[in-house]
Amino acid sequence: MLFALPLFPALAGLAIWAAGDGGRRRLGAMAAGAAAVTLLLAVLATAQGWTAGHDWGAGLVLRLALTPLSAAVAVTVPAVAVAVLVFAAAHEEARGLARLLGLMLVFCGAMLLAVTAADLLTLLIAWEVMGFCSWALIGHRWRDRANPASGRYAFVATRLGDLGLFLAVMATWAGAGTLEFAALGRLDGPALSLAAFGILVAAAAKAGQGPFAPWLFRAMDGPAPVSALLHAATMVAAGAYLLARLHPWLAPVPGWSGATLALGLVTALAGGAVAVMQGHAKRLLAGSTSAQLGLMFVAVGAGYPGIAVAHLVAHAAFKAPLFLAAGIAGRAAGSYDLGRMGYQRTLPWVAALTAPAALALAAVPPMGAAWTKEQIVAAASHASLWSGVGVAVAGALSAAYAARFWWLAFGPRGAEPETRPRRAEIAALGALSLGCVALGALWLAPVRATLRFAPLDAGAAEMALSLGLVGCGVLAGLTLARRGASPPPVAADWLGLPALIQHGIVAPFERAARGAARLDDTVLDAIPRGAARGARGLARGGRAVWGAMQIDRGGIDAAVWRIAEATRGLARLGGGHGEALADGLPEGTARIAGQGGADARRLQTGLSHHYYAMFVIGTALAILLLIGGLV
Amino acid sequence: MLTFAILLPFAGAALLASAPLSAGQSRLAAILVAALSLGALCVVWAGFIPGAGFQAVQEAPWIPPLGVAWRVGVDGISLPLALMSGLLFVAAIAWPMEREVNARAYYAWFLFLEGASLGLFLTLDLLIFYVFFDLSLVGMYFLIGRWGHGDAPRAALKFFLYTLAGSLLILLALIALVLSVDPLSFDMRDMIALQPVAGMDLRAGLILLGFVLGFAIKTPLFPLHTWLPPAHVDAPGPASAILAGVLLKMGTYGLVRIPMQMLRETFATYALALGVVALASILWGSIVAFAQDNIKRRIAYTSVNHMGYAVLGIAVAGSAVTGQEAARDLALNGAVIEMVAHGLITGALFLIAGSIWARTGTYEIDSYGGLAGRAPRLMGAMGLASFASLGLPGLAGFVAEVQIFVGAFAVWPWLAAIALLGLIVTAALFLGMLQRVFLGERPPALDGFADLTRTEFGVLAVLLGLVVLIGVWPAWLIDMIALGGG
Repeated sequence: MLFALPLFPALAGLAIWAAGDGGRRRLGAMAAGAAAVTLLLAVLATAQGWTAGHDWGAGLVLRLALTPLSAAVAVTVPAVAVAVLVFAAAHEEARGLARLLGLMLVFCGAMLLAVTAADLLTLLIAWEVMGFCSWALIGHRWRDRANPASGRYAFVATRLGDLGLFLAVMATWAGAGTLEFAALGRLDGPALSLAAFGILVAAAAKAGQGPFAPWLFRAMDGPAPVSALLHAATMVAAGAYLLARLHPWLAPVPGWSGATLALGLVTALAGGAVAVMQGHAKRLLAGSTSAQLGLMFVAVGAGYPGIAVAHLVAHAAFKAPLFLAAGIAGRAAGSYDLGRMGYQRTLPWVAALTAPAALALAAVPPMGAAWTKEQIVAAASHASLWSGVGVAVAGALSAAYAARFWWLAFGPRGAEPETRPRRAEIAALGALSLGCVALGALWLAPVRATLRFAPLDAGAAEMALSLGLVGCGVLAGLTLARRGASPPPVAADWLGLPALIQHGIVAPFERAARGAARLDDTVLDAIPRGAARGARGLARGGRAVWGAMQIDRGGIDAAVWRIAEATRGLARLGGGHGEALADGLPEGTARIAGQGGADARRLQTGLSHHYYAMFVIGTALAILLLIGGLV
Repeated sequence: MLTFAILLPFAGAALLASAPLSAGQSRLAAILVAALSLGALCVVWAGFIPGAGFQAVQEAPWIPPLGVAWRVGVDGISLPLALMSGLLFVAAIAWPMEREVNARAYYAWFLFLEGASLGLFLTLDLLIFYVFFDLSLVGMYFLIGRWGHGDAPRAALKFFLYTLAGSLLILLALIALVLSVDPLSFDMRDMIALQPVAGMDLRAGLILLGFVLGFAIKTPLFPLHTWLPPAHVDAPGPASAILAGVLLKMGTYGLVRIPMQMLRETFATYALALGVVALASILWGSIVAFAQDNIKRRIAYTSVNHMGYAVLGIAVAGSAVTGQEAARDLALNGAVIEMVAHGLITGALFLIAGSIWARTGTYEIDSYGGLAGRAPRLMGAMGLASFASLGLPGLAGFVAEVQIFVGAFAVWPWLAAIALLGLIVTAALFLGMLQRVFLGERPPALDGFADLTRTEFGVLAVLLGLVVLIGVWPAWLIDMIALGGG
């Protein structure tokens, strides 16, 4: 039954894509309707505790189940998708709109499959299908070659991480004989470590952590709604979700929690710094996504997966509207250059509706995201004082880039928009903004009591320090923004990481591949060519021998004649039917053979010595091998 | 029924060679014959009981003193391969000819090749296996040489001689193997049951070497693969599809049937070495493919990569690592599915490459771009086949590869872990090709590029439909193979 949850949006998406481009409204209504039904299914599935299993073959079973953690994400995904699809239908070019909306639904389906997966094979399937969707969606406007190239970059980068999941699948099966998540608990030693770190790599790749961060920048070549979906609900969020879901089995692995926490913290700080420097509206948000996902990694590493998922939901609620707003501003400015924006006066509604999301990103109370971020600070402090301070500093950075983003994009500079957003776009933005504000309820104790995990009590001093840092961050961000968007420093491109990857990995690999191809054409192909040449030499020798044998012609000739005579005798024996048959057979054969011969003639001229050569070699080899083999 | 499936195409070939039919009539007749043959195989499939050994066996004595007889029968390994081959032949024959010259002979040779191919997969007699192995070379030689383009005669000759050298090795090994049983027998079932050379070190090793080298050339495995790219590049699209889809499988099928099953002990001794060669093929094939600027050469080298996966699975299955029986079954499962999946996927890819050539006359990737706008159906088919080939879940390639990797890891963890790198390179190379041929700006010269015709689209839809079916619901195929606990 639970299969309905991932399959419905996926099939609906394929159907919308197949039906082709209709009117904007019709397509938007169908896509958003499908997402709404999916939301309904998610709520139903959670309420009734659906599960599912499907016999895949070879003793492997695909299992689906919902835990409280996965239920929270399973509801978030379609909820965000409804608004994003409405926006996309109104915002994007009409050409290819059906494909765009359809694939976004498929993307949601794949994400829901990952969220409901209860075994590693199902997870791997969902994980890779998400990679495909990201490829197709990032390259959506394929007529510009740069876009599909970015899609390919994203696919290959995340697939590199998928190999970690492959390793986890392989190690788990080898160690436990099955693939359900619980089997991870039956592993020990190197197999468990391999599985745990493999999963960490896979999660880090999808979530744009550490060395995998640059693909998120390249992914910005996709349409704005795609970015909203990718960062808020699917793909990127999947990385953090996976670690939270598998935390009980992975946490006991030596070094795993520490590595997760360190990776998250480093990415949170580096991503924050990159976002503060960026002058491209969407890349700024992309840097912030890496940083926010880093915070979730910190929470998991510190041992609080529930907090990580709470921040995941809060992040989805503010990141989606921010990307939609960036899409509107980018369309209005004709580019995503923050220096050309500033629409508070000309697009007041958009500016006002984006403000709550920006405040949430900055983690300013009473936004819900502020509460979840403070929880992460508290969680990190439990792990160690320094990681707590690190998270608080990352929080200051996020306050700075959030303030800078809003001020540059929607501040009172008075830029004139080239185009104005449609009403549906503003409505979608507003709905998400509203959700963002509603999450502020997390500050209320009765609401908190309904959560499935016990919130941490942050100390007053800790809280004061953290909120003080947020305040400083906001001020710094506004100051930076007032100074205008100066051309971003080189370091804004992920601290030079993409260049390092290009020159350290991609280019050397391409050179090596070209070298290998040349080697293949020259050295490896020399084996048969050498053999042929040797054979030709042998054949020449053979011809000389044959010539010598010709001298003794008489004996051979006599033998041939005797055979001929015997044949003639046989022929004389066959009369009547025998003759007819004997005639028919060769004639029929001859006709077929003639055809073959005619074909052969067209090919063979002048090359027959190859044949002889091969024959001689073959015979020699045969004799040698037989002698060797029969000894 | 199996005999019928084998002899019918031969009869069809003889008919086409002698009867004065027009091009259209020959095509129809050939499609009909191929479809009937496939139908016969389906009848056998309908009565097939998975996991119950050789079935639908027919036997007729031929040379009793030597123990040679016409023996046919199928088990869970040969049936999927024969069905896939039968289908691929229907597809290749139904595909429009590239250069419409001498259609009657073209279709006759195709049917001849079909008879030889099906015979090879269905026979249970070693001598007949060998005969069909060689006959398949003859058929393919003429198809490439006469209906190919570019330097076709040369490529055809290279293909013929190189693989003929392989088949001579097989012949020698085969004679040596047969001579070691008393009374003489060419019956495969006897050989599998008797394990004739078990315990004879040097001799068994040499026999194994002969078989493995011969089949490695045909498969082809690194470093014996250099005949493959020129043969593909100059072959007509449908012949290329058959070469990759059916003829390469003869190498891997041979490896399973003869060295792995008949020389179990010896094979296990050298299984790791074969696994290492397979790993080299996986990596080398993908890396060299990455650097190719010719559509067909690129696809051809990915065959080396994919057949590397299949051989890795076979090596794992044949390794006698105790306690890992389930892993070995899984790997063999994966190898058989890889063979079927590769046949369908690469068959489709080569047909598509042929259709691109038919429209423009070049395979150079750089002379294309932006075709998706002119030919969305072609783009769809190529995209699906490419993702299937790079192993996207939900498509057939993944089903095979995940089982091979999982099985291999349990036996040789490092080998399997390194082999994973092939997945990255194939992803990069297929996406690169899609992007350069179909996306981006379209050069003005391609403004008149036509999308797939109805026939082409129908053929590809059947092949790729199966790829999707195996991908989303692999159980039926895994059950047919029925190894171990399945």
